[in-house]
Amino acid sequence: MTATLDNGKKIFKDSKVFMPVPGRMGRGDKMGRGPYEKSGIIRDSALPPMRTITEKYDIPFPFEDVKERGKRVRKILAREMTINVELWYMPYGSRNDDDNNTLFRKFTKKVTIE
Amino acid sequence: MRGFTTMFFSLLLVGILTLAFFTPVLNAGIGESGTIAADAGKAKTVKELIEMYDSDSCAECHKEIYDQWKKSLHARSIFGPEESGRTAATFRTTLLNGLKKWKFSGVAGPEDVKVEHLRICTKCHLPQLEDATDEVASEIMNMIVNWAEEGDEKAEETIQALNINCLICHNRNAITHKWTDGYPQKGVVYGTKDGDHFSESMPEMRRSPIMQESILCGQCHGLGPNLELDNPTQCATLYGYYLWSYQAEGGRETCQECHMKKSKLGHNIQSYRSSAMREAALDFKVEVTGFQWRDGSKMVPLTEVVVEMTNKAGHAIPDG
Ligand code: HEC
Ligand code: HEC
Ligand code: HEC
Ligand code: HEC
Ligand code: HEC
Repeated sequence: MTATLDNGKKIFKDSKVFMPVPGRMGRGDKMGRGPYEKSGIIRDSALPPMRTITEKYDIPFPFEDVKERGKRVRKILAREMTINVELWYMPYGSRNDDDNNTLFRKFTKKVTIE
Repeated sequence: MRGFTTMFFSLLLVGILTLAFFTPVLNAGIGESGTIAADAGKAKTVKELIEMYDSDSCAECHKEIYDQWKKSLHARSIFGPEESGRTAATFRTTLLNGLKKWKFSGVAGPEDVKVEHLRICTKCHLPQLEDATDEVASEIMNMIVNWAEEGDEKAEETIQALNINCLICHNRNAITHKWTDGYPQKGVVYGTKDGDHFSESMPEMRRSPIMQESILCGQCHGLGPNLELDNPTQCATLYGYYLWSYQAEGGRETCQECHMKKSKLGHNIQSYRSSAMREAALDFKVEVTGFQWRDGSKMVPLTEVVVEMTNKAGHAIPDG
């Protein structure tokens, strides 16, 4: 997901991975890759069935604290940002795999404050 | 006289050998001798293995189903997606980074690959390899290497002809509990009802008690490490999620209901590559709120983003 200002500047960027993380040869703390070496699960962040997974973010609008006539005041530098959230399916776990990566869901909305 | 005796003995020897060759090693269960594999004897070549479960004739009368199936990954189960051959490529990696590297596997090259070596993958990707000799296993491994390293197109075609076809689901793997329900018999197609089947080579139709149950698919869709293997592997674990997450949370639909019926895809059983399945996969809701939070005397201008994802499949997304 990203947050972008009207001038095109990206002010926030984050991504999360949802997947079962297989263990390697059923021992230790390392992830296994090929099916021939995978055994067990060392962490599981896959989306579980029948349940709702919630991710929350608080993204600050850019501001600046300046001194005006001896007083500190907060100046809000932008009052609009566009939030983009995309959910991608990466079957082989690589971000640079245009042939296989599939966009599952997409959301865009502009947010304004007074 | 002496010459005759020798001849007699040598003839006898040949007789015993032939007998030994054609008698498959059977388990204790009653009726196993009536299976397709027991009747044919172990396949000694890839060609014989393809012929043993040849399903091309089914297309004559079940054209629509055949065409659907042909588009599914089951029709290329040791090759993988048509464009990439990802599965065959990973079989090769299994040889290079696994079998050849493991000190105690007994494999130095493709020629050493036996059924028990390939079983770590074919248990699910090509279960009928159990009905073939070790020569077939090394022949398959060789073909995969030739396809991957030399672009051998004929090999590619043959690799694709080794697959999970009509006779795997409707005969060989149609019964899981063989001591309860009997071994699947040759000449019978197992489906949802009993009766005559209008095909010369398969004249009978019988109901399989699991044809519409998830366990039919569960046979190959994995629970976790495959611990019965001498060197356990793990690939699909989706049936485990189905049992212990989906059903445990109250999910009641079967694999067939979602993948074959509601999807309207029939035998073109698909996942994320199909838009119908992508649509059905999850609810995705995003709420954004702009607000100014008061931190003591200062205002902090913020956007709150709440992303809610509800998986509507019968298992985790994605599978391992
Ligand atoms: C000569 C035509 C013909 C051929 C060839 C043929 N079938 Fe059939 N099959 C039928 C017909 C007709 C029915 C429907 C019978 C009924 O519903 O009473 C049927 C029914 C079935 C069923 C049962 C469906 C159910 O409702 O449970 C299965 C499974 C099946 N066929 C599989 C196969 C397979 C596998 C092959 C290839 C080995 C094959 N058939 C070849 C004509 C054929
Ligand atoms: C427990 C059964 C099982 C075993 C054992 C198994 N696989 Fe799989 N494999 C599957 C299933 C089912 C799928 C497809 C569904 C999925 O991804 O959940 C799959 C998917 C794959 C894929 C991804 C293919 C694609 O369509 O993109 C590759 C590659 C693969 N397997 C290779 C292997 C190799 C190599 C081995 C042996 C080292 C192996 N598998 C062992 C069941 C298994
Ligand atoms: C991956 C397993 C699988 C494979 C491969 C498969 N089938 Fe089926 N087939 C099923 C299942 C499961 C059903 C029952 C679906 C239900 O009613 O819930 C079915 C139903 C059928 C039916 C009866 C219902 C209908 O849709 O008309 C016929 C006929 C049939 N299959 C023929 C074939 C033929 C021919 C092939 C090969 C081209 C084939 N099947 C390959 C699993 C399979
Ligand atoms: C004999 C083993 C076997 C049976 C039975 C079986 N599958 Fe599969 N299935 C596989 C394998 C192996 C693959 C992956 C092939 C590949 O691409 O390497 C697969 C692929 C799939 C895929 C596509 C996964 C992807 O990555 O797109 C789906 C969906 C699927 N199977 C569902 C089912 C359903 C539903 C049933 C029961 C009606 C079933 N399977 C029965 C072995 C099996
Ligand atoms: C409630 C409906 C539902 C049930 C029940 C269900 N599935 Fe799925 N399945 C889906 C949907 C929707 C997707 C597409 C999302 C995806 O690709 O992950 C999917 C995806 C898959 C995939 C691809 C997994 C991956 O890594 O993306 C396989 C393989 C599969 N299903 C097999 C099965 C098998 C086998 C069963 C039964 C044990 C089953 N499904 C039960 C709805 C269902």
